[in-house]
Amino acid sequence: MTARRDGGDERALANATRLGAPPPALSPELARAVQGMGPVRTRHRFGAVAAVALAGLVWPVIALVHLPHRRDLGALPMAWVIVAAVLWATAFTASLTAALVPRRGDVLPAAGRAARIAVAAMLIVAAFALFASVDAPGVSMHPEERGWSPLRACLHCIGFVFQTAAVFLVAGLVAMRRLIPVGGARAGLALGAGAGAMGGLVLHFICPFASTAHVVLGHVGGMALTAVAGALLAAALIRR
Amino acid sequence: MEPEAQEAAAAMERYCRGEPAAFHQLYALLAPRILAYLHGLLGDRAAAEDALQLTFLKVHEARATYLRGANPIPWIYTIAHRTSLDEIRKRKRSRVRLSPHGTPGAPDTEPTAHITGVAADQHPDPADRQDASNAAAGALAALAELPESQRQALLLTKVHGRSIAEAALITGSTPGAIKQRAHRAYVTLRRLLGKGDVDAGAGADAGAGATKVAPTRKELA
Repeated sequence: MTARRDGGDERALANATRLGAPPPALSPELARAVQGMGPVRTRHRFGAVAAVALAGLVWPVIALVHLPHRRDLGALPMAWVIVAAVLWATAFTASLTAALVPRRGDVLPAAGRAARIAVAAMLIVAAFALFASVDAPGVSMHPEERGWSPLRACLHCIGFVFQTAAVFLVAGLVAMRRLIPVGGARAGLALGAGAGAMGGLVLHFICPFASTAHVVLGHVGGMALTAVAGALLAAALIRR
Repeated sequence: MEPEAQEAAAAMERYCRGEPAAFHQLYALLAPRILAYLHGLLGDRAAAEDALQLTFLKVHEARATYLRGANPIPWIYTIAHRTSLDEIRKRKRSRVRLSPHGTPGAPDTEPTAHITGVAADQHPDPADRQDASNAAAGALAALAELPESQRQALLLTKVHGRSIAEAALITGSTPGAIKQRAHRAYVTLRRLLGKGDVDAGAGADAGAGATKVAPTRKELA
């Protein structure tokens, strides 16, 4: 009984919106555009993410090669160093890919899915930083040794995360502007999280401060802030 | 992929290769339902027709961003959705909107079409015609009462037969949010149509088990 009435409501809605009514003829502008068109080269599924990654990775590679590495790197457990690096790299790859690569058979990346993946990546990295941070007593540096307050050290690292994320954000927003007509804020959040994760990965090797509070606030916090920046910028800039 | 999606994908590929006939095929295949979707969102036939032209113009301009082999239907719905949002924003900025009859905000009164595609006022049975016309007018008025996000979810899942995942992609939302909005819209709509004794379970699976009422190509022809 209910199903029959449901069908009636759906049909009334279909009638109301004139589903099946013939569409109007093409407008002169559209007809002209179609008549004069030529072939176009369509994009590749991984084209946007490859371009953004290539552009964005230039600075992180330079930083890793030229900036001094943390002095406690050799004193930390090698397995922990590798696991933490893999986590940051995975957060970067997963978030950036979710923001820019559509699923097979789709034309557009799914913005909602991208945001969920980015938030999950942030939570995993935050949990790891909170519960599994390791330092080498006597070797790892504290901000006071440089005459910095803990807040200043955090702000310094957040600034570095933004510096690393900038090219990813700009290149990603340009790509998304072409690709994503809706859900820009969610996709931007994923883009920003991915970009911030790359900053976190570089800091994992060069930041001399190993305390849990510093890593959570300065590194993971930096990632969260770039995610917010990505969401705000995408919401403001992406229109189609 | 469904046969219809395959047909749309094949037409889209030929269109990207520069065949104008393929664009016309795609337009004939998708324009009726995109127009209906826009009409459902905007509540105004003339505005929906303008938005339809704009949607296909955007599709034309963005055809290089199409991925060969992908289903273009959700993509074109997404562009239509964005276009309708822009139109709605534009309307919100202008304080008074006059209907074609000169009265503020009055719905247009063009004759409605039957589900078969036959105009309701040309349907063979006058009683059916009257019933369909009344039900359609009531449904359109009730639809206009729904919040924008609920209206989108209801139209996509219940009327246009899009899956929950596709509706989420089209609106840039999440499947969970779409399910919730479609259910709320369904409950509100039934209340507005005077059918308040809604079976909550019936609306909860909106989209997932939704009866597809999108017309087949045969019906459209």
